[in-house]
Amino acid sequence: MDVNIFQNVLYGFQVALQPLNLIYCFFGVLIGTLVGVLPGLGPAAAIALLLPSTFKATPVSGVIMLAGIYYGAMYGGSTTSILVNIPGEAASVVTCIDGYQMALKGRAGPALGIAAFGSFIAGTIAVIALTLVGPLLAGIALRFGPPEFFALMIVGIMVLTFLSSGSMLKALMMAAVGLTLGGIGMDSISGKYRFTFNIQALLDGVGLVPVVMGLFGITEVIENLETEIKREILTAKIKNLFPNLKDWADSIWAIIRGTVLGFFLGIIPGGGAIVASFASYAIEKKVSKHPEEFGKGAIAGVAGPESANNAAAGSSFIPLLTLGIPSNAVMAIFLGALMIHGLQPGPLLMTRAPDLFWGTIVSMYIGNGMLLVLNLPLIPLWVMVLRVPYYLLYPLIILFCMIGAYSISNTTADVIIMLIFGIVGYLMRKFRYDAPPLVLALVLGGELESSLRQSLMLSRGDFSIFVTRPITLGFLIVAVLLLIVPIITQRKKLSTLEESP
Amino acid sequence: MGRADRISAIFWLCFAVLVVIQSYHLGLGTLHKPGPGFLFFWVNIVLVIMSLIVLIRAWVGKKEEGPQPAIFSGQNVSKIVSVLISLFLYAILMELVGFILITLLFFIFILRIIEKKGWFYTAFVSIVVTVISYLIFETWLQSQLPKGLLAFLRL
Repeated sequence: MDVNIFQNVLYGFQVALQPLNLIYCFFGVLIGTLVGVLPGLGPAAAIALLLPSTFKATPVSGVIMLAGIYYGAMYGGSTTSILVNIPGEAASVVTCIDGYQMALKGRAGPALGIAAFGSFIAGTIAVIALTLVGPLLAGIALRFGPPEFFALMIVGIMVLTFLSSGSMLKALMMAAVGLTLGGIGMDSISGKYRFTFNIQALLDGVGLVPVVMGLFGITEVIENLETEIKREILTAKIKNLFPNLKDWADSIWAIIRGTVLGFFLGIIPGGGAIVASFASYAIEKKVSKHPEEFGKGAIAGVAGPESANNAAAGSSFIPLLTLGIPSNAVMAIFLGALMIHGLQPGPLLMTRAPDLFWGTIVSMYIGNGMLLVLNLPLIPLWVMVLRVPYYLLYPLIILFCMIGAYSISNTTADVIIMLIFGIVGYLMRKFRYDAPPLVLALVLGGELESSLRQSLMLSRGDFSIFVTRPITLGFLIVAVLLLIVPIITQRKKLSTLEESP
Repeated sequence: MGRADRISAIFWLCFAVLVVIQSYHLGLGTLHKPGPGFLFFWVNIVLVIMSLIVLIRAWVGKKEEGPQPAIFSGQNVSKIVSVLISLFLYAILMELVGFILITLLFFIFILRIIEKKGWFYTAFVSIVVTVISYLIFETWLQSQLPKGLLAFLRL
């Protein structure tokens, strides 16, 4: 087994070190950092809108680049949090608290430095763990049949609704809507068209990419137009990016704790980087000998969450690559991306497309190294990017979305679908409905339906197939618990940890 | 969120009822051989129930709340609406007019009319953005952007 992993990693290096893949990896992390820096453009939207530009590349190169965007964005997000007090993306919200305070005290350099080093350490450890855990999980999942997959997907949807920021009932409603939207188009089993209302554009179904670009990209722009971001940028020169020995002593354990925490939260479907960063901050504050320093520029308050969100970003690939279950909205888009490239994520991915599996994982080691080298010297450039005024930025973001949506299949139908979902997404935020459950259900919809129908055919219409198989039963019990627990206990949401004393 | 919940719950209720009817007509099949409408029929029955819960909760909780806060703050509404209209026009006219011209017009509209920047600035930025985006997406990434009116130029 061990020798096997060693060989596989070597093979991964062969794939990832091909010049073309290196270039894609480089552009991925570069664009990712840029996306992380720019407020109002999250990794989900960025991956969705760059997805069409990978169509020309091989699946391996394309996925390597998209992965780079994701973990690159985790790096970039911290830069804006520290310098401008505006999180570039949601996983860096907590970094604002102490990072910006450090910047105000003239310690922006070490804050940026520790964020970069912490991210690097966490990202690397997460990738190593992914190498070890991935094959193990995939091995177990190989024994899964349609009922197991059905139950597992139900668990995935339940976890995401459980952890959603708003009302769980509304999140479940959005999952139902997402499932229904996934049914639009031709039914693969009977060949009948469903819910198309004779509209030409709906015959092929509602694509994931225009929906996500609408819900996350266009919605974000509309929301920002409403509130008009005002930004003040720290003009002081940034010096001493390298944290000193005392900084390291203060933050090394925060980095390690953040990494472990982030890794496990990332594996759990529905967990992910955002929850991990909040949880890490809460823990660091609790274990610190000087909790009073938190909120006034404690370096551990930057190091912990930044490590946690990077570790989670890495480990969230585990359920996707081994089980085919996306653990958050970004992974849901990834799942869509793999499918568009003709790959079926799941336990067989490792044997059917080993170049993709190991190449992508190893590219993450390389990408993490690139990010470290890239980030420290490029910080002045990112500060310059931040000075781009919003009245220039938003038409550019819109333009990229328009081009991205159009080039999926060179029709304006996708562009219109994207715009409609932009408005829907804006209204959903106004009326407090969470978008991620909708996206996840839309992605899983097809698989969920076919595994349900296959299970029922397998058992000749007997629903007991879902309770007589132990693994299936186990999953469904978890799903039911996730539904019942909040009703009984008035759950305290992880997302409210933010300001808990 | 009383009023907002009532509005949204009624919307989803109508959505779900419509889907339930449609799914029924598609055919539910039997349990041995579930038909194309099977999953959506049941999922949307659940959605009907959930919308009703939200609706009832909003109605019951209504009395305790004071004056209802507006759902839309009214800020920049005209700006959002005009940007959205320009986006739909962009999408509809894109294939007819072509990427280059429509992008130029879009940027001129946003910068000059919505953001009220000077003519020189508007022209400069619009041209630069159009050229660079064309080079990146058409020349480099080989997306097939519509040529429209400029097709005769064979760019």
